This record gives sequence, structure tokens and C-alpha cells, in this order.
Amino acid sequence: MSSIRKITILLIISISLILFFLGSSVYYFLSNYSYADFYKRLEARVSVAEKRHFESNKRYAQVLKSIREEHLELLSDEKEYILYCPNAASIKQLAETNSLPINLLNVAYAQQSANFQKDDVFYFGKKRETPKGFYFVIVSAKNYYNTHHLILLRKVLVVGGLISILLIIYLTHLFSKRFFDPIDNIISKVNSISTDNIHLRLDDIKNTEEIKRLTTTFNNLLNRIEIAFETNKNFISNASHEFGTPLTAIIGEADVTLLKDRTLEEYKEALQKILKQSERLNKISQSLLFLAQIGYKENKFNYNIIRTDELILQANEIMNQLIPKNNIKIDFELLPENPKKLKVMGNKDLLMLAITNIMTNACKYSSNKPVIVSLASTNNEIVLIIKDQGIGIPESELPFIFDPFFRASNTAAYDGYGIGLPLTQNIIKIHKGELIINSVLHKGVTVLVKLPMATF
Amino acid sequence: MEKKILIPIDFRIESLNTLKYALEERRNKKSNIILMYSEYISDSITELLFYDPAKKIKELASSDINDAIAIINNTHESSLHTIKIELFNGLNKNAFLNFYEAHGIDIIYLPRDYRLKPLKNGFDPIPIIKKSKVAYREVTWSNDHSTSSKNELNQLFK
Repeated sequence: MSSIRKITILLIISISLILFFLGSSVYYFLSNYSYADFYKRLEARVSVAEKRHFESNKRYAQVLKSIREEHLELLSDEKEYILYCPNAASIKQLAETNSLPINLLNVAYAQQSANFQKDDVFYFGKKRETPKGFYFVIVSAKNYYNTHHLILLRKVLVVGGLISILLIIYLTHLFSKRFFDPIDNIISKVNSISTDNIHLRLDDIKNTEEIKRLTTTFNNLLNRIEIAFETNKNFISNASHEFGTPLTAIIGEADVTLLKDRTLEEYKEALQKILKQSERLNKISQSLLFLAQIGYKENKFNYNIIRTDELILQANEIMNQLIPKNNIKIDFELLPENPKKLKVMGNKDLLMLAITNIMTNACKYSSNKPVIVSLASTNNEIVLIIKDQGIGIPESELPFIFDPFFRASNTAAYDGYGIGLPLTQNIIKIHKGELIINSVLHKGVTVLVKLPMATF
Repeated sequence: MEKKILIPIDFRIESLNTLKYALEERRNKKSNIILMYSEYISDSITELLFYDPAKKIKELASSDINDAIAIINNTHESSLHTIKIELFNGLNKNAFLNFYEAHGIDIIYLPRDYRLKPLKNGFDPIPIIKKSKVAYREVTWSNDHSTSSKNELNQLFK
């Protein structure tokens, strides 16, 4: 069942119930009140009749009669009885002769006054005792109000209720349609977005906050998907480029060499070149494999407690072997006094790889200008800062530096194939750390590695 | 003997260099540090009613500056006894002298070349401090990051 129909039905049922209870309570209380009120009116007439009939002063009786005629309106089918009853035994006969309900007289006899209803005729009776015996003063009338006004009220309530239910059906349908139309639009728009037109976005809707939030959420999601798509595309083109270059070199070299007979020296030289390119290819595919492995082998590495200051010193020794001309300066000025605050939980080989990677980059892209490495610790993190004075990274390319095979546009003069940084990023990520790269073009790059402190 | 040291800050990492230099100068002497941030107090009654300095400091301090304070704290753990941030709301010399006495300050360290750049509603208390004729020391540090091999604090986060 669609939400529109669900909401409509729920609203109709609940509102009809409310209307029904409201209508019936109005009807019930009004009709109750009208009965009580009618008996009061009859009682007033009875007491006037009684006074008038038993008043000894004739003038006073006359005045009462005129007041009665002038001020008390005649009810429909109003009848007045003043019956003499010599004793209790004759009540039955009295009732029969005047066609009055016997119960009325019995109750009036026992309790001085009584009211009674027979069909739509209402009675009020009163017993008056005199020295000669007793009298019944009775007034009966039809309740015109009850019979006519209440029926009208009933009709009004029923018809009004039905009309308002119809109105509610119409309005709920209208409103829910108004509410759900934008959602339908969003659905059809989102459905129309596919891999070919991933750049499309949903239109901004201004009037409804919730719908606006929904569209913004969708648009943000689409942005992320588009970036992922873009990354994927970049990866493929970069990867095929990286693999293609050495392959082209190998093929070209082999082709040229095979054109005619060569001397032994020339063959050796050609094979040397081919070997060099093949080694490069091998290195790329191995590092790519390693990058992929780190991604899914997360839990299979051995973790130990490592002191980061030792790690940096060892990394520095490795750097001295790799790049003997390096100009790395280690600054331990911010080192915490407490050595416990230098320990991290991690895999030493991986962290070493990550740090030497960053250091190699710093030396490589600054052509061995000074690189400052410092270490500090906050209350729960160890911060490693590696600052170089190299070529920097163009700001527009910063979002892509962690993509495999991506190389910034100003790195053409430097050897490399764009796997080091993504690898480092993955290593830091599996250590639950953070890798932050700040760069000023032509001034240098500052790499911040934040690793969570080991807890004992 | 433990001394209470006051250092005006502007909640920027640069201003913590004063602290770093003060601590280096006082190496092996116990210190209690008060970092003072100066701010005009609001004149709205409702704001004053709910005024809470601790909450205010929490709002003003970025996570970077908290990290930087933690780093300095770790670096000088043995000589640094306590370190806390206080708000100063006074406008003149007398108000500052009150603050000075209330906290039992022994020495004030001021940056010589660095000018505090206070955040919104804040102000630079250094002129008031200098006018108050209390003992202060000015420290200086090089602002040229590229030539100095010494690592200024602000470089950590830049």
C-alpha cells in the first residue's frame, strides 16, 4: 500500500472517530438536559395550578391565572388535571377514568411528587393533602423540543459529520500528495542518474526543510560517488601509463635490435636496457601487490610496543644508506620527558616503511635540502613531523595525492611511480593513526603523522 | 622554590612560544603556569547570568592549541607543576594588579616581537601589564621558520 493511501486512511479513521465521539456526546448531553429542563417546566406549571386551585383568596387566584396565561407559554398538548382521591384504594380507578399511567399516581402518592414519561407525553404529578382527603395535581405535555429540535440536531450532526469526513478525505489526499510529490520527483531523478551522467544533481527544493535535507544528502552522496569514479578512472589511466612506459621501451629496444645483425656488445647493451625496464615493471607490480595486501590483511600483522624515537633513529640510518647525500636533521627538542609517552602499538617493519617513505619523498623532492624531523607527544597521541623545503604540491592536486599511481604535475623531473604515499597512508590507517599533509607550493611540504599512544 | 608564572596568550599556537622559552629558561626549577587570555566581558545581563569561565575557555581553545599545550607539558614534565588557563576581564591597571595578587603571580613572561592577535571580543593585555609596574621578562624568538633549524611550535601545526 502506498504511503499516501496509508496516511489518508489513518487520518480518516482517527478524525471520524473523533467526530463521532464529539457528535454523540453533544447529542447525549443536550438530550439529557432537555428532559431535565422539561420536567422543571412541568413542575412550575403544577405548582401554579395547585396554588391557583387551592387559594382561598379569589382575587389572588385570579392574579395567578392571568400570570399563568401571560407568562407561561402553553406547551403542545398541555393538559392539566386536578383529581380528588378519597383514599389510596381508588387510585387505580382514578387512573383508568382519566387514562393516566397508574405508576405516576402510585409514586406521587408515596413520594409526594413524581415524573413519568409515556411515549412522547411527559407527566409531572404532585400530591396535595387536605382535611377532606387528598388531591393529585398533574400536568402533562408533549416535549416539542425533544421531538423536533433533537431530531434536527441529530440530522445536522450526521450530515455535517459526513460532509467533514468527505472534506478530510479530499484534504488529506491533497496534502499527502503535495508532501509526497517532491519525493516522487527525487526518486525519478535519482533513477535517471547512471554511470554516464553521474555529474547530474538533484534540484534544490526550498519550501520543505526535510526534503531539502534529503536532496542535499543525495547530492553529497553523488559527489562522493563521483569522486570515487574519478579516482578509479585516474587509477586505470595512471596504472596503464606506468605499466605502458617500460613495456614500450622494452618493445622498442627489442624491435630496433632485431632490425639487423648486431655485435655481441650491442646485444648485451640492448639486453641490459630491457632488463632495467623489466626490473622497473617488476618493482611496480610488487609494490602494487603490497599495497593491495595491506588493505585486506589488516589483522594479520604482528603488533608490538615500539618506541617512536628509536624508530626514527633507525629510519635515519636506513636513509643514510639509501640516500647518502641526505640532509635529515632530527630535532628532539619537543621530546616528552616521560619515555612511556613515546610508545605506540604497531608493526615495526610497516611503520619503518611508512617513515622511510615519507623521508625519501622529503629528500627526493627537495633535492637534498635540509629535512627537519621532530617528535612530540600530546596526552594521547604521538606526533611526528617531517618538514622539507622542496617543490611542494599544487593545491588543486592535494585531494588526489593518496590515489595509487597519481603523481603531481610538477614531479616530472623526479623518478617515481606514485605508490609510496598511498602505501604510507594505508599503513598509518591500519595503525589507527592520521596522516596530514600541508603544503605550500615551491616552499615545501610538512607531513604530520599522528599515532595513538600505546595504553598499558 | 616553586614560582607562579603568568603568560598572556591569544589562543594561537604562536603565543605558546613564550611559554616554551620561559620553561627552557627555567629548566630544573619548579613552575606553576597561568596562561591568561584577556577578553571584554559582555554587558548583556542574560549573558552575564550564564557566564561560566571554564565553559568559555573550552569554547575558545581549539584542539590544536590543547595538543600544543599537552606537548609542552610532556616536554617539561619534571619542572612544570601545574598549567591552567585563566580569563582576565579587567580593563585597567588596577584590575590587572588585582588579578596579579589574587593568583599570587611571581613573574610575567611577555613576547618581545610577537603581537597578540586576540579573537573576537578579546584584547591585548600587554600594554596594561607594562603599565602596572610589576616584574616582567620579555623573551624573543626567531620568526623566520625557513632558516632556523630550531623547531618553533607553530610549525607543528602548519
